[in-house]
This record gives sequence, structure tokens and C-alpha cells, in this order.
Amino acid sequence: MKEIIAVIRMNKVNATKKALIDAGIPAFTATGRVMGRGKGQVHSDILRGAEAGHPEAIAQLGGAPRLVAKRILTVVVPDELCKMAIDTIIATNQTGNHGDGKIFVTPIIETVRVRTGESGDVALN
Amino acid sequence: MLMIRTIVRPEKVYDVMQGMLDAGFPAVTKIAVVGRGKQRGLQVADVVYDEIPKEMLFTVVADIDKDFVIRSIIENAKSGADGKFGDGKIFVSAVEEVYTISTGERETDPLLPAKGV
Repeated sequence: MKEIIAVIRMNKVNATKKALIDAGIPAFTATGRVMGRGKGQVHSDILRGAEAGHPEAIAQLGGAPRLVAKRILTVVVPDELCKMAIDTIIATNQTGNHGDGKIFVTPIIETVRVRTGESGDVALN
Repeated sequence: MLMIRTIVRPEKVYDVMQGMLDAGFPAVTKIAVVGRGKQRGLQVADVVYDEIPKEMLFTVVADIDKDFVIRSIIENAKSGADGKFGDGKIFVSAVEEVYTISTGERETDPLLPAKGV
């Protein structure tokens, strides 16, 4: 089993949910708003301006990258569905700009369904 | 790669994030959480507060950077020189794959440090 943690744009959550259902993965958990920052990349013109010492460009950069609102979708899937789920999330969320988000895949050792107590891959179906 | 989840006091969160930025690890996500620890929450007379607000920071780093990042977090998250109950916890777990959505690329190299700035 794999846990797929996707940090995505807030306005892409509904589209991602639909795409995952169409792909046969209906179950997910989502957080509300989370705040974060990435590698802190900024527009190249502003960077050039700051290097040249323009005060407006330096003022825009600030001391630290701004925090951006995102949401986190967490999906737990059996190993064989992992690749497909990742491809679905990437296809739905990709705009090609910085800030589209990240996907992390971590191993899950056990899943237990609370209602029946059964565990393993059965609990995911 | 490793995911480092840190639970810190809300008033320390900007110190910790600035410390990580200075250490060259800008990428981080912050979630507001509530919880209790080994001390079973805070007790004031007969009232027990066991849902204490904290901030959870999570970041994914290369294996070799783990100790460096953790040291930077601890340095900034501690209250005073010795630390106090409620300063938080750090959990480290394995991450098998990392993808950047904007390029669709699977990242095999460590997350790159910030450019410029």
C-alpha cells in the first residue's frame, strides 16, 4: 500500500476529485487550507532588477518567500494503482507554472477498516 | 528522501521557518493542528485543556540533509536554552517518490536549494 500526499492549488481540488473518481479511486482525505512555500523562485525580471540595485525590485522581493495557500489531498491506494493515481493527479493539476504543487509517495504498513476490523488490501476496496 | 514533520508552538513557527530558509531549505508546508502530549495537556485547577493549538510543519529533504535540518529546527523551536514541555516533536518518515506537478518530473535528486534571492 502507498500513501500519496499531493499538495495542490486550492482551485484544482474539485477537478482532481472528479478525475480520481473517473479513474476508479473514490476514497480520499483532504485538509482545509494549508500555507506553504516552495523553492522561493521569483520572476527573473525582478531578480535582475534587484541585482542591478533598483529599490522597487528589492522591495518586491522582501526578506522571505511569501506563503501561498494550498490544499493537501491524501490518497491511500494498493501498490498497483499507485502509478495511475499519480498520473491522474499530475494530468489534472499541471498548468506548467511554478506553484502547481508536489506529490509525495510514502509506504503504508497497514490499513484497518474500522467498521469490520479487517486489514490489508481488502480494507481499501 | 525523508519527510520531516515538526509540531511546534504557534509563536515559534516563523522563527523555525526563517531558520530553515537561512539553512537553504525554503520548501515547507504549514498546517494548524491541535493535540496533547505526554503531560496529558494543561491542567489549571480542575480544568484540563487537552487540545492545545500547535502548528505542524512538513518538509521533504534528501537523506543526507536530515540531521542538518533537524538541528536547525530544534535550535529555533526551543523555548529558552534548556527547552520546556510543549516545545513539540519531530517525526521522520520515508518518502519513496517525489513528483513536481508543474513539470510532471519525478525528482530523483535532492530538492534544490533556493535560486537567487
